[in-house]
Amino acid sequence: MIGRIWALALVTFKEGLRDRSLYGIFLFALFVLGLNVLVAGFFMRDLGKVTVDMNLSALSFAGLLLVFFIGINLMAKDIDKKTIHLVLSKPFSRGEYIWGKFTGLVMFVGATQLVLLVFSSATVAVVRWMYPNFFAGFSWGIFITAVFFVFLQHVLLCAIVVFFSSLTSSSFISLIFSLASYIVGITLEEVVFYLRTPTANEEVAGAEFLQRSLEVVTWLVPNFAAFDFKLEAAHGLALEFSHLGVTFGYACLYIMLLLILASVIFSRREFN
Amino acid sequence: MRTLGYRCLWFFLALAILVPLYAYFQSNLWSQRAEAREYLEAGYVVPSQFSRILACGYKGLLSDYQFLRILTFYGSRFAEQQQMVDEDWDYFVASIDVITDLDPYFIDPYVLTEGLLTWDAGRIEDANRLLLKGAVANENNWRLWYYLGFNSFYFMKDYVGGAEYLMIASRVPGSPDYLKTLSSRLAFYGGKTKTALLFLKGMLADTDDALLEKRLKTRLLALEGAVLIEEALVQFRDQQGHLPGSLNELVSSGYLHELPVEPYGGDWLFNKDARVFSTSKFTHR
Amino acid sequence: MSKIKLSKISKTYKAGLFKKKVRALTDLSLSVDAGTVYGLIGPNGAGKSTTIRLLLNLSRPDRGTVRIDALPVHESLGAIGYLPENPYLYDHLTLKELLFFAGRATGLATSDIRQLMEHLTATVGLDHVRGKSLRTFSKGMRQRAGLCFALLHDPSLVILDEPMSGLDPLGRKMVCDLILSLKKQGKTIFFCSHILSDIERLCDRIAVLHQGQMVREFTPDEITELRQGKMDLETEFIDVVERNEVHA
Ligand SMILES: Nc1ncnc2c1ncn2[C@@H]1O[C@H](COP(=O)(O)OP(=O)(O)OP(=O)(O)O)[C@@H](O)[C@H]1O
Ligand SMILES: [Mg+2]
Repeated sequence: MIGRIWALALVTFKEGLRDRSLYGIFLFALFVLGLNVLVAGFFMRDLGKVTVDMNLSALSFAGLLLVFFIGINLMAKDIDKKTIHLVLSKPFSRGEYIWGKFTGLVMFVGATQLVLLVFSSATVAVVRWMYPNFFAGFSWGIFITAVFFVFLQHVLLCAIVVFFSSLTSSSFISLIFSLASYIVGITLEEVVFYLRTPTANEEVAGAEFLQRSLEVVTWLVPNFAAFDFKLEAAHGLALEFSHLGVTFGYACLYIMLLLILASVIFSRREFN
Repeated sequence: MRTLGYRCLWFFLALAILVPLYAYFQSNLWSQRAEAREYLEAGYVVPSQFSRILACGYKGLLSDYQFLRILTFYGSRFAEQQQMVDEDWDYFVASIDVITDLDPYFIDPYVLTEGLLTWDAGRIEDANRLLLKGAVANENNWRLWYYLGFNSFYFMKDYVGGAEYLMIASRVPGSPDYLKTLSSRLAFYGGKTKTALLFLKGMLADTDDALLEKRLKTRLLALEGAVLIEEALVQFRDQQGHLPGSLNELVSSGYLHELPVEPYGGDWLFNKDARVFSTSKFTHR
Repeated sequence: MSKIKLSKISKTYKAGLFKKKVRALTDLSLSVDAGTVYGLIGPNGAGKSTTIRLLLNLSRPDRGTVRIDALPVHESLGAIGYLPENPYLYDHLTLKELLFFAGRATGLATSDIRQLMEHLTATVGLDHVRGKSLRTFSKGMRQRAGLCFALLHDPSLVILDEPMSGLDPLGRKMVCDLILSLKKQGKTIFFCSHILSDIERLCDRIAVLHQGQMVREFTPDEITELRQGKMDLETEFIDVVERNEVHA
C-alpha cells in the first residue's frame, strides 16, 4: 500500500515539477524578492518589518499560485482527461489514489517552497547585511516557523483541492470551489469576530442568526488566518509553543478528516 | 462483502477518534484566536497607491474589506474596554484614508469618521480633512458638508468657516430647511450653547446609526442641561445684578427646579460669562 | 474455468443533470474461458467500452454481477492489464518513468522493472524513445506506450480497448503477434476492435454487441469456418446488426 501511494506521489511530483508555469511563478517570486532588496532603502524605520513582510507574502502568494495553477491540474486533469483510467487499472484502491495524489501535491509544494525559502533567506540576509541596524527584533527561528505555517496553509489547501477534485470531473469547477474555500477561510475570522462585537449587534440586521450560521461554517472551512504568523515574524515577537501546537494539530486533523471523506466519496464514483 | 465490512469498521473507528480530536483542536484554535486578537496590534495599512494596484480591479471590494477590518478593530477595542491609544488612531486615520482613496463615494467611512474621530479621538483636523475629501467627491451629499460645518463650529470654534460649510450644505437639493436658519444663526450667535443644541438636534434627526445616535443623545442631554442652567444664570444675573456663588444657589433661590443630571457623570461648572461647563468635559472617562 | 463472468448486467448512464438516462447495456451475460482470446465487435455506441470499464471497476453495473477469477472486480485488479480506448498518458513524464510507475504500482522490484521495460519497449518498437517525454509522442506511439503500461506486470488477463486504432500496418502486425504470444503463455485476452480481419484471425470466441445486447456469439466451429472462408465475418456482422435494428 505504501509502495503504491509512494509511486503515485512520485509521478505526481514529477508532473508538477515539469509544468512550465512553474518557471513563471518562480520568476514572479524572485521578482518580488529582488524588488524587496531595491526598495528596502526607501523605508526609514520599519525596514526589517517590511522585508520580512514582503518575503513571507511572496512565499505565500507564490504557494497559492502553485496550488491553484499547477496543483489543481495534477489531480483534476487526471480525471478530466481520463488518465485516471490508466492509473486505476493498476491495483490502486480509491483511497490509495487520494492519499497518493495528496502526498505528491504536498511534496511538490514543499519542494518548491523549500527552493523559494532558500532565495528568500538569501534576500533577508542581504538586506540585513546592508542595513544591520534595522533588524533588532529579527530572529531566524521565528521567520522559519512562520514560513512553515505558510507551508502548512498550502498543505491544507492541497487537501481541499484533492477533496473537490474527488467530487467533480471538471478542473475548472474544483478550481472555483477551492478558491472560494480559500477566500472564505481567510476572511472568516474577521467576519466572525466582527459579529461578536456589540457594535455589530446594533448595526447588522439578524446578527444573531448570522453568527449562528457562521459558527457552522467555522467547523466546515478551515480558519486560514490562524496560520498567519507574518506579524510575529515581522516584529520578532516570541511564538508560544502551545499556540503553534494547536494550530498544527488543527491542520492535521482537518486534513485527515477531509481526505477520509474524499476517499469515501471517491470510492463511490464511477469514471465513464 | 467481508472486506467491505472491515472497511466500514475501520472508517467508523477512524471517525470516532478523529472527529472528537478535531472538535477539541477546532474550539481551542478559535478561542486562541479570540485571545490573540485582544492584543491585536494596530495593523499596517498598505498605502493606497499600492493597494489600488494590489486590488487588481477589485478596489471596491478591498475598500469594503478594509472598512470591515477597521470596524472589527474598533469594535474589539470597545468590547474589551481598552482605550484606543495614539497608534490605534493613526491606524484608524490611515485606514479611512485608504478606504476613501479606493472608493471615495463610500459614505459609511465618513460617517464613522464623524462619529469617532471627533468625539473620541479629538482629531478634528484629521476628521475635517477626510470629510472634505468626501464632500468634494460627493458634492450632492449635504450631510458631509454639514459634518464639516458642525466640526468647525463645535470643535474648532470657527464660526465663520462653519457657517460657510452650512451654506453649502443648505444649497444641496433635498437638504433639510433648518440648515438655512442654522447657518445664519451661526454667523451671528456662534458662541452660544443654544446654537450647539440646535445643531445636535439636526444631527440626531438625521442619524440612523445606532452607536452614533446613543452618543448624540447623551451629548444632547448634557447640552440641554447646560442650556437650562445658562438660562437660569442669566436670569439670576439680570435680576440680582451678580452671578450666584454656586449652582445650588440657583435651586435654593428658585431659579431652577433642580440641577439637571450631568449624563457623563461630571460636576457642573460655570465661568464669569455665565457659560456652563462640566468637569467631565462631556466625555466618558 | 471461466476467467471472466458477466451475468445479467444492465447499465444506464445519466448523461446530464436533467437529461434522460441512456441505456448502455441490457441483460448482458458472457463468460470467457481462461487461456482464450475473446473478441468483442459491434457498431459505434454498442456498449463495448462500457463493458470493459465494468471489468475494471471504473463503472459499476446497475444490476447483475461481474466476476474475474470468481472474485469481485476490485479484488482482482492486480491480475489485469488494461489499455484504454484513447490512452492519455502523463504529459511530462518519460516513457521510462511511466513504466517504472506501472512497475512500482504493481509491486515489482526495481531490477525486474528495468529488465521488463527494456524487453517490452523493444517489442513494441519504442526502445529509442524511452527517455523522451510522452508529450512528444504521436498517436500510434502513445498507443504502443499504453500497451507497455498494460503489460509490464505480466498480467494473467489482458483487456484491450481497440488496440489497433491509430497503428500503422507494422504496428498492427506487432499487436497481433503480441496477442498470439500472450496466448501462447497461457494468458486470457479480452479485446474489442473494428478491424474484423484481425478479430477473425486471433479470436477463439467472437461476440457481436448491438445496442447493449449480445446479438450473436460465434462458436469455435463457426470461427473455423470463417477462417476457411466458408463464412464472411463482415457480411455476418452487417446482417445480424441490421436484423436486430428491425426488431428494435
Ligand atoms: N460517459 C458517458 N455518459 C453518458 N453516456 C455514455 C457515456 N459513455 C458512453 N455512453 C453511452 O453509452 C453507450 C455505449 O457507449 P460505449 O462507449 O460503450 O460504446 P462503444 O461500443 O465503445 O463505441 P465505440 O465503438 O464508438 O467505441 C452509447 O450510447 C454512449 O452514448
Ligand atoms: Mg469504445
